Amino acid sequence: MTAALVQLAACVHCGLPVPAGRTTFCCAGCEVVHAAIAANGLEKFYTLREQAAPANATGRAYAELDDPAFQRVHVQLAANGMAHAALYLEDLRCTACVWLVESAPRCVPGTVNVRVDLGRSRADVTWDPRAVSLSAIARFLDGVGHPPHPYRGLDRDGARRREDRALLTKIGVAGAAMGNLMLLAIALYCGLFGGMARSDASLFRWASMLVAVPGLGYAATPMFRTAIGALRARRLHLDLPLSIGILAGLGWGSANVLRDAGEIYFDSLAMLVFLLLVARWVVLRHQRRASTSAELLLALTPARARRIDLGVVVEVPIEAIVPGDLVKVLVGDVIPVDGVIVDGGSALDVGLLTGESRPIEVSVGDAVNAGTANLAAPLIVRATAIGETTRVGRLVAAIEAMSARRAPIERFVDRIAGRFVQIVTLAALVTFVAWSAAVSLGAGAENAMALLIVTCPCALALATPLAVTVALGRAARRGVLVKGADALERLATPGTMFVDKTGTLTAGKLAVVSWRGDVDAVALAVAVEEGSAHPIARALRAHATTPMVATQIEEELGRGIAGVVGGHDVIVGAPAWVRARTACHPGIEAWIAELAERGETPIVIAVDQRAVAVAGLADPIRPDARAALDELTRVGWQVELLSGDDERVARRVGTALGIPAERCHGGASPEDKAVLVAARRLAGPVVMVGDGVNDAAAMAAATAGIAVAGSAEIAIETADVYLRSPAIGDIVATVAGARATLATIRRNLRLSLIYNLTAGTLAVAGVIHPLIAALVMPLSSLTVLASSLRSRAFRELP
Amino acid sequence: MISLYIVLPLALLIAGGAVLAFIWTVRTGQLDDVETPPRRILFDDPPVRDPHLPPPP
Repeated sequence: MTAALVQLAACVHCGLPVPAGRTTFCCAGCEVVHAAIAANGLEKFYTLREQAAPANATGRAYAELDDPAFQRVHVQLAANGMAHAALYLEDLRCTACVWLVESAPRCVPGTVNVRVDLGRSRADVTWDPRAVSLSAIARFLDGVGHPPHPYRGLDRDGARRREDRALLTKIGVAGAAMGNLMLLAIALYCGLFGGMARSDASLFRWASMLVAVPGLGYAATPMFRTAIGALRARRLHLDLPLSIGILAGLGWGSANVLRDAGEIYFDSLAMLVFLLLVARWVVLRHQRRASTSAELLLALTPARARRIDLGVVVEVPIEAIVPGDLVKVLVGDVIPVDGVIVDGGSALDVGLLTGESRPIEVSVGDAVNAGTANLAAPLIVRATAIGETTRVGRLVAAIEAMSARRAPIERFVDRIAGRFVQIVTLAALVTFVAWSAAVSLGAGAENAMALLIVTCPCALALATPLAVTVALGRAARRGVLVKGADALERLATPGTMFVDKTGTLTAGKLAVVSWRGDVDAVALAVAVEEGSAHPIARALRAHATTPMVATQIEEELGRGIAGVVGGHDVIVGAPAWVRARTACHPGIEAWIAELAERGETPIVIAVDQRAVAVAGLADPIRPDARAALDELTRVGWQVELLSGDDERVARRVGTALGIPAERCHGGASPEDKAVLVAARRLAGPVVMVGDGVNDAAAMAAATAGIAVAGSAEIAIETADVYLRSPAIGDIVATVAGARATLATIRRNLRLSLIYNLTAGTLAVAGVIHPLIAALVMPLSSLTVLASSLRSRAFRELP
Repeated sequence: MISLYIVLPLALLIAGGAVLAFIWTVRTGQLDDVETPPRRILFDDPPVRDPHLPPPP
């Protein structure tokens, strides 16, 4: 506790307290980055920046970026000999980061230009390949705290940019048409009251037509296209009544201009088209933010590997590895290939792939899979499969196939739209026939057209996007990324919720959860484990700290560790290993049995040839999990546990969280999970919550999937919702928010239908005035907007 | 009100010009990234570029 008494200095780079034993900087990362910034004369960074965070520099050589196999895929050469590549940079946060990265041409000679796109965490680098290598630029970027990665998804970016530009152009055209049409309409409305020469009115009407027909005809093409697509597929879509209304308005208005009689509705139509396009744009932007979330761009399997060429370790891109190559895997690395260990022994974290929470001990001759993390000691692996042929690659392919087959849900608003089309068409026919019979054919056509135009479901079309936009925006601020409107609709109805265990309900890594015996032995055990990278050593170090230092350390990988601390012989290890070295009295044996029975991993600590304590290690349950699950049950969800881990462990965690044993499913392979979810879907909505590759197939099979913080890339991509913060309580907020959003959508729909009913009745009666139509349409849209902003969805901030 | 016959087409022409200018800004990618450029104006010493080189793609 001495550390707390010392006045802690602030780190020069990030401002965090400097721990005892260090000076000036809080960590090695900050020190390296500060040195790189100073060496390049970029100290202005510290005055520009808005927020500080611990630096992140890997110090890698980035040799793989210069490999021809990498350059073929990621580097373009321009005609003037300059090379260009897009990189994804970590930790791009603010203005200062942009400045720092864009300073590269001044610090790395040969770099021509670096342009940062902050929203995409992307840097476009142009350099002279004769003067500098890409790896040198990468080392600079890494040195200043922004480790670069090859930018994946360039094709996706290009397609999205084209789509964005097309929509933006249409918004611009619709906006300009709306503004000008309103000015013309104001003149016409003034003329209505103040009197206006017939020839002048005619001029304004002609001008309106010349603006409206080409402008709106072009701007509304997205609606026309969807309507035609829906008609072809014999599905109902809201764009169908919208298109009918827009086309009827443009056609009938033009006819009235040409025959110089009757009403024109161009100004109302222009506003309708403009508002609809803007709503679409906003929803699109929110969905993009969720799906291009920076985490998605970091690969599950690393993009590079350390290949051993004639005894020398070379960093190469993963594309350059062929079966038979020897690959070195350091501690903390993710294994890049499927293969067989030829040298070394270690513990692997396979949780992301299988859901098992305990590290797996491996040694020479064991098979390892790509996507698992090496925890304890360096390994040399002979590659047997690379990329898509690896186990994780095949799993990802299966998940993608399953996601593609997933049927779209019939959206609530489209169902209403279908009925709406029928009613309005019928009403128009009745109006036409009745007025034709009672008055004249002209009056019949006039009133039927007026009905079609004033009932054009503007507010109806805005009802969903507005409600969803408000919800998605608020959710994103909370760290809940929702990928679109239908994800909220899928989550709104309670059903069965399957929750993965490892990494979702639990922290996903080992920790000391119980201790039996001599409490003073903790310090000795921690001292012995100080230098080990084994997960059990990490768990013990996280449990307690000690100033004591161990000597004569001997580690037998996967079994235990021995050393001398303060004159005492200390042994820490698995029960069998400790028993072989020292006596375990019956009390110790009872504790071992008790902890093993509870699904914990027992570790025995012996001091001076006598076993004195037993530590129980397990993957601890997240502290807020119980409250979250209880709340879900309360609002009507049936929560079940679905884990790839051992049945006993699943039961133990389930019981601790109040889930009955029959609803805890353990030992489920990724395929088992998908099958169980698919079977349950026949009975009602099913939501899958998970984090790993092993959950992604089940997410694709479910009505909706939720990925929690720290999930594998494929799980985030497959899920409908991604929770960025580790708080499991956000699941509750998500389903509550989805429910509130659907309630808002329903309220919006009711409001807009009331408007349509009123306007429609007036039109049928033949008393609708174009000025009323022009006033009521924006009024109904404003009502819907106000109703959306009042929504309770995701409002209560923690 | 004969002047209307000159002023109105002229006004519409100017509006058309504005629309074309907007389409040009979209086509040339000036609205692709609306987040970084407003920050870039804060740098008083922008990275120096060789003026003979073409703009980056």
